[in-house]
Amino acid sequence: MSESLLTTLLTIPAIGALVVLFLPRQWPNAVRRVSVGFMLLTFAVSLLLIPEVAEYLQEPMARLLGSDILIPTYAGGEMHYVQQSVWVESLGISYKVGIDGISLWLVLLTTLLTPIALYGSWTSIGTKVKEYAAAFLLLEVGMLGAFFALDLFLFYVFWELMLVPMYFIIGIWGGKDRVYAAVKFFLYTMVGSLLMLVAILYVVGSYEDVTGHYTFDLIALYDLVLPFEDQLLLFSAFALAFMIKVPMFPFHTWLPDAHVQAPTGGSVILAAVLLKLGTYGFLRFAMPLFPLASQYLGPSIAILGLIGIVYGAYCAWVQRDVKKLVAYSSVSHMGFIALGIFAMTPHGLNGALIQMVNHGVSTGALFLLVGVIYERRHTRDIDAFGGLAKVMPWYTAVFVLVAMSSIGLPGTNGFIGEFLIMAGAFFSNRGFIGYGPWGTIFTLVAATGVILAAIYMLHVTLKMFWGPLSKKENMGLPDLTRREWTALAPLILFIFWIGWSPATFLDRSEPAIVQFLADFDAKWESSSTDDSLRLLHPAPAAPAAEVEAAVEVPAADDSLAALVANPVPSREVVR
Amino acid sequence: MNAWIAISPLLLLVVGGLLTMLVDAFSKEGKGEVATVTAATLFLAAGVSFAALLNGQDPQDVPEIFGAYLATDRLGLFFDVAIGLGGGLSALLAGGYLREHGLERGEFYILLLFSAFGAMVLARSTDMLTLFVGLETMSIGVYALAGFRRGSPRSIESALKYYLLGSFAAAILLFGAALIYAGTAHTDFAGIGAAVEGGHADVKLVLFGLLLVLVGLAFKVSAVPFHMWTPDVYEGAPTPATTFMSVVVKAAAFAVFVRVVITAFGDEMSSSSAGGWPPVLAGLAVVTMVYGNLAAIAQNSVKRMLAYSSIAHAGYILVGLAASSVVGQRAISAVLFYLMAYTVSNVLAFGSLILMGSRGREAVSFDDLAGVGRRHPLAALPFIIAVLTLMGFPPTAGFIGKYYVFSSAVEAGGGFIWLAVLGVLASAVGAYYYLRILVAMFMKDPIPGEPVAVPMRSGSVVAALVISGLAVMQMGLMPGDMLDLAVAAAEQLFAG
Repeated sequence: MSESLLTTLLTIPAIGALVVLFLPRQWPNAVRRVSVGFMLLTFAVSLLLIPEVAEYLQEPMARLLGSDILIPTYAGGEMHYVQQSVWVESLGISYKVGIDGISLWLVLLTTLLTPIALYGSWTSIGTKVKEYAAAFLLLEVGMLGAFFALDLFLFYVFWELMLVPMYFIIGIWGGKDRVYAAVKFFLYTMVGSLLMLVAILYVVGSYEDVTGHYTFDLIALYDLVLPFEDQLLLFSAFALAFMIKVPMFPFHTWLPDAHVQAPTGGSVILAAVLLKLGTYGFLRFAMPLFPLASQYLGPSIAILGLIGIVYGAYCAWVQRDVKKLVAYSSVSHMGFIALGIFAMTPHGLNGALIQMVNHGVSTGALFLLVGVIYERRHTRDIDAFGGLAKVMPWYTAVFVLVAMSSIGLPGTNGFIGEFLIMAGAFFSNRGFIGYGPWGTIFTLVAATGVILAAIYMLHVTLKMFWGPLSKKENMGLPDLTRREWTALAPLILFIFWIGWSPATFLDRSEPAIVQFLADFDAKWESSSTDDSLRLLHPAPAAPAAEVEAAVEVPAADDSLAALVANPVPSREVVR
Repeated sequence: MNAWIAISPLLLLVVGGLLTMLVDAFSKEGKGEVATVTAATLFLAAGVSFAALLNGQDPQDVPEIFGAYLATDRLGLFFDVAIGLGGGLSALLAGGYLREHGLERGEFYILLLFSAFGAMVLARSTDMLTLFVGLETMSIGVYALAGFRRGSPRSIESALKYYLLGSFAAAILLFGAALIYAGTAHTDFAGIGAAVEGGHADVKLVLFGLLLVLVGLAFKVSAVPFHMWTPDVYEGAPTPATTFMSVVVKAAAFAVFVRVVITAFGDEMSSSSAGGWPPVLAGLAVVTMVYGNLAAIAQNSVKRMLAYSSIAHAGYILVGLAASSVVGQRAISAVLFYLMAYTVSNVLAFGSLILMGSRGREAVSFDDLAGVGRRHPLAALPFIIAVLTLMGFPPTAGFIGKYYVFSSAVEAGGGFIWLAVLGVLASAVGAYYYLRILVAMFMKDPIPGEPVAVPMRSGSVVAALVISGLAVMQMGLMPGDMLDLAVAAAEQLFAG
């Protein structure tokens, strides 16, 4: 039973979507409650992925199911809850899902944010509530599936599947230019993913050349060594798809349009989860499959990330539309994540992972807050506000708090992520980031992004909340309602939780990161001397033994972070 | 006895055609029996072939009583399924469409049946002579179907254009066949192949003949630059006839295309990547994909857009066909699967369009569809699936087909990889115009004052949509069975 937990997680929202579609149209409130109910159920079940929860619920669950449940450890970076069944035998396609420390928090982020996004935008959707709720549930299936998939084909299917509900969410319930934004969103993503499809085909074809049979099994394909020239092209195709999704400069132009036009709930999900699939894709697919190329091209992508950090921040500064401001700040923050990933140090990667969660929490909250004010005033023009602190004190307090977390104030979640990423870039020894003063320069440029973030965020809070309450439309605005509080409270909780006790989260992802780097280095070492098309471990040897031998982490990186933030457990714990 | 089973789909269509004539003579106007009988006949033929495929009849058991003229192999059976399915679904669509628009006359179905018979002969032909006879039998019926709406100048124009250009293309093809005969002293594909391979052929004559034959076939599958007729004919013809043309005619033409390039010209010289047919087909594929997709963007009529989309799909199939010069069997099985997927997908698309028109008012342009999805969400559902499968979006048949064709091109390596890259980029362009349907249905409001589209109520159209929709999802979610059939058919083609 317990190995089908992930499948159960995929099934619940899918059933929910079906149920919602068969509810009568005349009961919009029933539709909302049922759909949020299904999402909460998904969230509750997904909590079982956390070891502590699983341990705590071990006995009642065992009684309920009649068999022991699995207690995941996430200790060795291995996959848990792996389930595999053949889908198309002749092509080597299987339904294979699993979860490890890298995807764990992203999955929980998804299951947490989906109900919040729907619940938080409860009243802003008045028409076609049924279809809206069903689209959200389907979107949840797609997102979870993409995080779970351990089969390239399956991943591609879920990756594409996410597009359709989001396309409809933007296109049907969006703002004035919704059609333009929706089509742009769809086409950008489609172009990237189709090229990725060709690359996938090439990888699988190469695997067939070596072994004589087809497989899309990611774990098997990890073992494939490809020639450097091939890797360059294949990595580029994968990277393009993921860079569009992240989105990184210069492929970001769809994002402001999509965010501004999308309804609040759509924006929250888009920012909080969909964008993460891009960065997740690098970690899960592009880098382990093509280590030579990722080390070679990684710094260039990190530079695009840097450009994104600064450029996004500048763009955010000059926006008059507060939603657009948040959208551009997203570009900036996602640049940090890309930098952390391609610094390829334990800190950088850990920081990138935690920053993915942070960005989901903070930016999700910001979009919710923008939705709150838009619902009251039907404008997002910053100049239309001013002095709101007098009429909406609680709203102001929450907004300022979330803004601080977005800036990265110590004590909030944003600080942990950005600090780790910058530490990672500073100590990076990869490619030319690790050469001469480049690490320092990268870190400095990234740091200006933090300063710029403070400027634009403080700028907008100043203009919106302080000063005289000059506009009479703003006079009688009601403060946060109970529903809005309910939606925001968990996010506020996580802002502080991650900010004060990041180890809760990092402890789970750290072993996976260490393992990731070890595997990456092992494959890199082996293929940098011999990059002919072959398998890394030709005979079907036990992979566990070799993995053990290959663990080797650059030592210099540990000491600093341990000194300052101590978010990283010591090596003994890792082992 | 075995041989009769092997060609029983053909016999079924002949008997069914005669029966339909009788039913038509004795039934009252507009009762729908003729449509039912026609569809039943075609589905029966498809079912018999499908059963024969599943049973895995060994080809060696079949005495070749038809000499070298008519194949009784798995490839033939596979295309019987595609043609029977496509034709039967078109007949079901016609059953609703013709009545709704006051065109209900029995001839339509009889023409459709005999044309489908011609298509099956064409798909099974292993000789230039049967090829031509099958082609003409199929085409003459389709010419008449295109002009079936006698009161409409567009329909007449469509028929006339198709007839004139079609005859011209057929003449070119025949001329090519004659040249090949002159060069090899054979009209049967196997004999031609043996002569070319054995070096007994006049190479210049044969190559020129092959080029002319390819032109004739490219016309039938509407590959650019031989596509000029397609948009006008597709637009002018009654929509069920368009459906029939776009699936049955295309499938049959590609079937014989496969036979010509593999059986007759599968030798090393003709199928080398430096010369022979692969570069020609690759070139055709490139211009067809690019032009078809780009031209489809500019259309305001959904029917015309679907016409260009069918041109684009011919381009994707040509990619697979070109790749068959390197990876042979795998590429051919991809082409077969793609054709089957395309058949059900296109029927679904045209059927959805038919469903959107009623009471003498057809839904033709994007504006006609404005807001339909909001007013009638259930009626819009098949269109959503159709758009996704034509776009090549998982988990539909169209996606698996596209994936399979492009993967065979990637496997072929070299320049074929770039062909696949171009193919996926072209299909990304394709996403734009397919999305316009969804935009119109769900995100646009009808122009105030204009009459709005009301979906028709017709059991047979709904039946066609349900069948094709289920087939699209089945082949998307569980493609294994159909893939196995396609692989087996391709295997046999290369073995024999």
